[in-house]
Amino acid sequence: MTTSQRIDGGKESGVEQDAPRKVALIAHCLLNQNAKVCEGAHYRGLVSPVVEALRSRGYMLLQLPCPELAFAGVRRWWAVYEQYDTPAYRAHCRRLAQAIAPLIEQHLRRGDEVILIGLDGSPSTGVRFTSSKPDWGGRPNRPEDDWEIVPRRGVWIEELEAELARRGLPPVPATGWALDMGRFDEAGSRRDLEQFLDSREIAAGSRDDDSGAGQPAAP
Amino acid sequence: MALVPDTLINPHTPARAALPDVLGILTACGYGVLQLPPSGKHGLLLAVIADQVAEYAHHGYAVVAIGVRGEPDGGLHWRRLAPLLRHRGAALPPRFSLRPDVDAAAEGQRFAAFLSGYDLPVEEQRRWRV
Repeated sequence: MTTSQRIDGGKESGVEQDAPRKVALIAHCLLNQNAKVCEGAHYRGLVSPVVEALRSRGYMLLQLPCPELAFAGVRRWWAVYEQYDTPAYRAHCRRLAQAIAPLIEQHLRRGDEVILIGLDGSPSTGVRFTSSKPDWGGRPNRPEDDWEIVPRRGVWIEELEAELARRGLPPVPATGWALDMGRFDEAGSRRDLEQFLDSREIAAGSRDDDSGAGQPAAP
Repeated sequence: MALVPDTLINPHTPARAALPDVLGILTACGYGVLQLPPSGKHGLLLAVIADQVAEYAHHGYAVVAIGVRGEPDGGLHWRRLAPLLRHRGAALPPRFSLRPDVDAAAEGQRFAAFLSGYDLPVEEQRRWRV
């Protein structure tokens, strides 16, 4: 099943029955760079290339909570996946997921096309990649750039996807803005995002063609 | 940063679309966004948002709230959010109310002037920005 098909047939009571919408779940810091760890911000406030790419294609924006800010605060140290992979942090992420999941579920059940834009390289919000260094810990005196980028979800995205699955919802197509990959390449990130969004448009177009194939021809 | 109602981020009614481009003005003024949910009961999510606002306020960040005149609570869920912030010991952010019934360009200028002019009290700035 794809997220563009109504998973309840559009019949749930109390849910608006107007045309399906396009909804982008976006990592908190893509709308608020204040949430980034020290030296992690590349913009003053919003990450405007992401906002522009989504809005120009007609996506509604739904900002996810920032799990690291609410857990370790604005003055937290840099960290890798293994440092956040703890029972306490996962419980915190589950609480955040339970807070935002009802809104996501509402969109999915009314047949909206929902996508997720995370933050590649982030230990929490990574989608395609996260940062890893199993021996990080203790005094924060690591030499520069000695962590690794590995193909894996961040802890927060893992917990969010698990919460959606618990609710019987289908996986949401996802990609990441490559802000936390070591060296930030805005042009490359923009290209990646636009390719992902364009592939969604093509997929949606194919589904529309397929659904029309069995319909009687207009007089 | 700014607390912003969903209706200003995702304007799907003609009345809201007539408002200034709030995200564009926030970007130009260097503000980040904390998006509030659409109308409805979102108790847990508002508590999560209050946690974040309290953390920012505790560390000297300037936070404002942008409402829309004519929306319930300005679209800010203020009757629920304000007690949550007080409970966390956070001062309530100053509120700016956008008017959908006036010229959008003029309202945009008034909004930008508010954002550019707002900052923490001087003693707080001295404390945090050495």
